[in-house]
Amino acid sequence: MGAKRFLKRRRHVLCGTALALSLAAVLPLAARAQGGRTITEWDLQTTAGAVKVIHDAADRFEQANPGFRVEESHIANDAYKTKLKIAFGANEPPCVFATWGGGPLREYVKSGQVVDLTPYLDKDPAFRDRFLPNSFKPVTVDGKIFGLPAENTAVAVIFYNKEIFARHKLAPPTTWDELMSVVKILKADGVAPFAMANKSKWPGSMFYVYLVDRIGGPAAFSDALERHAGGGFADPAFVEAGRRIQDLVKAGGFAEGFNGLDYDIGASRRLLYSGRAAMELMGSWEVATIRNENPAFLDKLDFFAFPAVAGGKGDPRDLIGTLGDNFLSVSAQCPETSAAVNLVKTMTDDKAAQGRLDDRRMMPLKGLSVSDPLLKSINLLIGNAPNVQLWYDQELPPKLGEVHKDTTQALFGLSVTPEAAAQQMEDVAKTELR
Amino acid sequence: MTVVPIRTLVRRPGGIRLSLERWVPALFLAPAVILLVVYLLYPLLSSFRLSLLNWNGLGETGRYVGLDNWVQLRHDPVFWQAVRNNFVLAFFSVLIQLPIALVLAVVLDEAGRGSRLLKILYFLPLLMSSVALGVVFKNVYDPNFGPLNSFLQAVGLADLAQDWLGDPHYALGAVIAVICWQNIPFYMLLFLAGLASFPRELSEAAHLDGATETTIFWRIKLPHLQGTFRTGVLLAVIGSLRYFDLIYVMTGGGPENASDLMATYMYRTVFNAFQLGYGSTVASAMFIIVTAAAALALRLSRRFQTEV
Repeated sequence: MGAKRFLKRRRHVLCGTALALSLAAVLPLAARAQGGRTITEWDLQTTAGAVKVIHDAADRFEQANPGFRVEESHIANDAYKTKLKIAFGANEPPCVFATWGGGPLREYVKSGQVVDLTPYLDKDPAFRDRFLPNSFKPVTVDGKIFGLPAENTAVAVIFYNKEIFARHKLAPPTTWDELMSVVKILKADGVAPFAMANKSKWPGSMFYVYLVDRIGGPAAFSDALERHAGGGFADPAFVEAGRRIQDLVKAGGFAEGFNGLDYDIGASRRLLYSGRAAMELMGSWEVATIRNENPAFLDKLDFFAFPAVAGGKGDPRDLIGTLGDNFLSVSAQCPETSAAVNLVKTMTDDKAAQGRLDDRRMMPLKGLSVSDPLLKSINLLIGNAPNVQLWYDQELPPKLGEVHKDTTQALFGLSVTPEAAAQQMEDVAKTELR
Repeated sequence: MTVVPIRTLVRRPGGIRLSLERWVPALFLAPAVILLVVYLLYPLLSSFRLSLLNWNGLGETGRYVGLDNWVQLRHDPVFWQAVRNNFVLAFFSVLIQLPIALVLAVVLDEAGRGSRLLKILYFLPLLMSSVALGVVFKNVYDPNFGPLNSFLQAVGLADLAQDWLGDPHYALGAVIAVICWQNIPFYMLLFLAGLASFPRELSEAAHLDGATETTIFWRIKLPHLQGTFRTGVLLAVIGSLRYFDLIYVMTGGGPENASDLMATYMYRTVFNAFQLGYGSTVASAMFIIVTAAAALALRLSRRFQTEV
């Protein structure tokens, strides 16, 4: 489930301050033997369905490659990221590992820790071309591919309560101005327009990413990130995005307490369920989450794409999200590189894709047939999207990603001006990006 | 060969027996010392070493940057905000937890055996996992569904209902309240132990001399507890300065760093921002601050030292 990509950074409570001290104790555990013909594989899938797909793939790999043994480790989200970092820091990384692509993976690539998969994929174009081309973007560094999209597809859309919209005779807005008038009408009737649980900051970031994309197009962000064509994070598109976020907040667009509500304990969804809020901008995994939590509510649930901004350069069909959710990479220190690459390919082949589909997760493949009506129409959006922007907090180098989340939360809290927030981001970008 | 009388060994300077005597303490101390060195001293020193690097924690990419991280730390507003928050937490921990714990302990002590059930009840918060507790109180504070605001509105105090965890003005205070609630039982237990060693004859004698209960409490029992009080203050201060869990669970240091502590800031720096070097600087600074504060507190409270 896509939500997992977010869970990784939370609930490390037990580690706490003791982490620094226990580092020495952890290292020997991370240092497992990986010589010989054993291929270590680490991922963060812990649900039975997801583990089965990987286990089946490992079995198929072992049968096709006699003499090799796959040592799988399925590590719960909370511990995964920490454990992976420590393993790499101790020079004892697993052969095959999962990441979320983007900035953090780029840190590993920059440190020379990840195998370039491009030559292997060039040898097998039929395999490579099954994937949606956009799905390789989060794992591409300097034109080279360092991972394969594996688990799921998640894009952000605005979910809404059909009943509430019908009661107020509202149609899904297609422009920002229409959205603002929807907000006004709902607010006047005592319904909170949006539910948002922004304690962990990424839900609010979705608004910002979409607005920048709609206002400045994908180039606004990529130019700023690559320091290309004079682009920067203080450019008008970023300031304007911040301004519109604050407009929305001032118009009463969000249910009370949003900066302190916790998505993980369902603080935003229960606003939807109870009918106190009408909309939520959230990743498409929300469909699966709602099906688990409150299947009856699915009858009232529909979604629309993030509205266009008048005069903006972005294509309103563009989406933000991740095609792949998790990406599988091979570590440079793996003694069995080509076998490990084959394992990664087996883990993302058509059989694995079918297994994931049976588990209601969509690998980003062309022509995937989905039965769930909501997911089906989300998949249509994905097929039509000229560009899918990876979440900023994943795409940006980690330090900058933190600044982005902090400044965006402050924007929502109205405690910083759009100009100052953009400038703060740009100041750090200047030192972090060359 | 015959048995060598021990006495001759003892008399001979530099003999086997003497050198054994010299080595036995060292031998007995060795396991503790080795454990301390490996698990305390070594990580501490390497943390200081890491604080001189610009390192993302991956592979051999660390770059030696001297004291750059420390200079950066000096001008890092978030860090100083965190330090301030730590001291706010320490101040209120002492001010709230100890008096309430003392009252509870005295009352329970007076009540004697009949209060066993209450003792267990009061002790419960301490036994709960901070994560579970954090989730419970996140729900209590929820401005839309939480019982706290519903209660305030029901009794006509709607003006007091706040966005407890989402408003930078209230977030730290809201979590501190829960931290105190969780930790009061610990100090209650400490005071109960202190009171248990209070000799009954003293209060009986005082009674005979015509002292009232109030006088006995203020003039005899409280002075008797001053050592316990000192221990409590020290534990509360040190615990507050290195606190992590409930802040991490309930606010994650937010919103806008309003409730950040040194430990939560260090955690985010290392594991979210991939700055192992700078994170180690924060950790080392935290060590220095905690040690200095503890040393100062020990020194200032020396005159209250007692056997208990």
